[in-house]
Amino acid sequence: MIMKRNFILLLWLTALSTPSANAALNVFACEPEWAALAQELGGDRVTVYSATTAMQDAHRIEARPSLIAKLRQADLAVCTGAELEVGWMPMLQRQAGNARVQPGRSGYFEAAAAVDRLDVPSQLDRSMGDVHAGGNPHVHTDPRRIATIADALAQRLAILDSANASFYAQRQEVFAQRWRQATREWTARAAPLRNVRVVSHHRDWVYLFDWLGLQDAGTLEPKPGLPPTASHLADLKQALAKSPARMILRAPFEEARPSEWLARETGARTVMLPYTVGGTPGARDLFGLFDDTIARLLEAAK
Amino acid sequence: MNASALDVSIVGPALVAGLLVLSTHVPLGRHVLQRGIIFIDLAIAQVAGLGAIAAQLFAEEWGAIGTQTIAVGAALLAALLLDRSEKRWPEIQEALIGALFVVAASAGLLLLAGNPHGAEHLKELLVGQILWVSPSALLVTFAAYVAVLIAALILRHRLGTVGFYVLFAICVTASVQLVGIYLVFASLILPALAVRHLRGARGLAWGYGIGLAGYASGILLSAVVDLPTGAVIVCTMAIMALLGAAATRIGRGKSAATS
Repeated sequence: MIMKRNFILLLWLTALSTPSANAALNVFACEPEWAALAQELGGDRVTVYSATTAMQDAHRIEARPSLIAKLRQADLAVCTGAELEVGWMPMLQRQAGNARVQPGRSGYFEAAAAVDRLDVPSQLDRSMGDVHAGGNPHVHTDPRRIATIADALAQRLAILDSANASFYAQRQEVFAQRWRQATREWTARAAPLRNVRVVSHHRDWVYLFDWLGLQDAGTLEPKPGLPPTASHLADLKQALAKSPARMILRAPFEEARPSEWLARETGARTVMLPYTVGGTPGARDLFGLFDDTIARLLEAAK
Repeated sequence: MNASALDVSIVGPALVAGLLVLSTHVPLGRHVLQRGIIFIDLAIAQVAGLGAIAAQLFAEEWGAIGTQTIAVGAALLAALLLDRSEKRWPEIQEALIGALFVVAASAGLLLLAGNPHGAEHLKELLVGQILWVSPSALLVTFAAYVAVLIAALILRHRLGTVGFYVLFAICVTASVQLVGIYLVFASLILPALAVRHLRGARGLAWGYGIGLAGYASGILLSAVVDLPTGAVIVCTMAIMALLGAAATRIGRGKSAATS
């Protein structure tokens, strides 16, 4: 029974993957934000699968057979890069054995490579913590960088599926237009947030800070990727006593207890931001992601 | 439903890894259970992990082979230590094993306090993921097991406690990296627990059967319902152990009644 269904599915997939104007491009997204972007740009010409959900930390995930199967069928893998997925993507690429999506091939798209990055270490030293040589990988928390990435991704879709090149170019144009408009509105709405001091759990938000002019008042993690220690928290508390922070940010997959502790100790408010598409009920797509992020920040800054 | 995930080339290597681990762990598990030292695999794996962390910190230039050598060396050292302690204080052996486990785990955390990349190396050693097994890892483990099995066959009854601990340390260091600590514990203890009342070859055969059924059904189920493979196998292995224990007990009850 399963064999038979498997065979029928295989036929169906083969039919889909034969090059024709109607063939859907199989897109494997490492994170939900890139799944959402690929869907925006590809419309009905792409079939998008997201390897992780907003509730998972993309630094580490558990292996499931479907991950290998999906990457094997993929025509394009869209990942953050900058070593964010270094703990699992290389293994997955090896196991899937799909030549189209190996590093360096046009079927492997790294979003972070398309934009300039912050926190690029001038020298790499393991004592600095979970530092990425390619800089901070959480580039999608800045809509201006998403605009640049969208442009690059649309071009990549056009290269891989040249029959639909004009379709992708047109969708990119529409998206870019809507996105520019939305970004202007977000930036205007977020004006009161300029120079507001915020603490974050992990350095997830440096690009958000860069965009909105929020001031980084420190992180709960002593070094990226390390759990908070007593002396670090004491230092942080002392620093905040001198120059207080208004809020403490965390992502849905980060533990609430450290930020709740700091909120009790300092009077700053804890804010859980969606971080990516699907992170909160309001963050249904990329537009919802930033609508909700700005709304939550403004609420906490009141 | 994810029929395409049932591809043999995806789940095949995982099943081979499972069979490899079972080949040594079912008989070892029967010994471990008999001796009442069920947490020894956790302790040995943790000490091997500690060795690997130390190697990464203090002898990084030795590379992967150096790390492995030190990990196995640390595991062997722990094995010899446990052999001595079993001879001197048999009544508190299980408690000492537990103590060794927490101390090794905590010492590892302290060594890693300033180094999250070390944590990645520890993770590689303690939480191997059964779906990511590479052909070379399967070959290395196969070679280690063959060596262990040959040694066990040649020495047989002359193996003694020292021999048992040494072979156990080598097996666990290899298998933990292949499939992770939870699956090693499950492969070792669950089949052995289910067939504890059966002697000799019959017990071994049922143990292998239960282990195989656990891995096969777990891998299939994880492909069908799309859940993390390692954790699903541990659960199906427990179910198969319960079923296996019930089946062999009923069988035994019948044969006892007819005889």
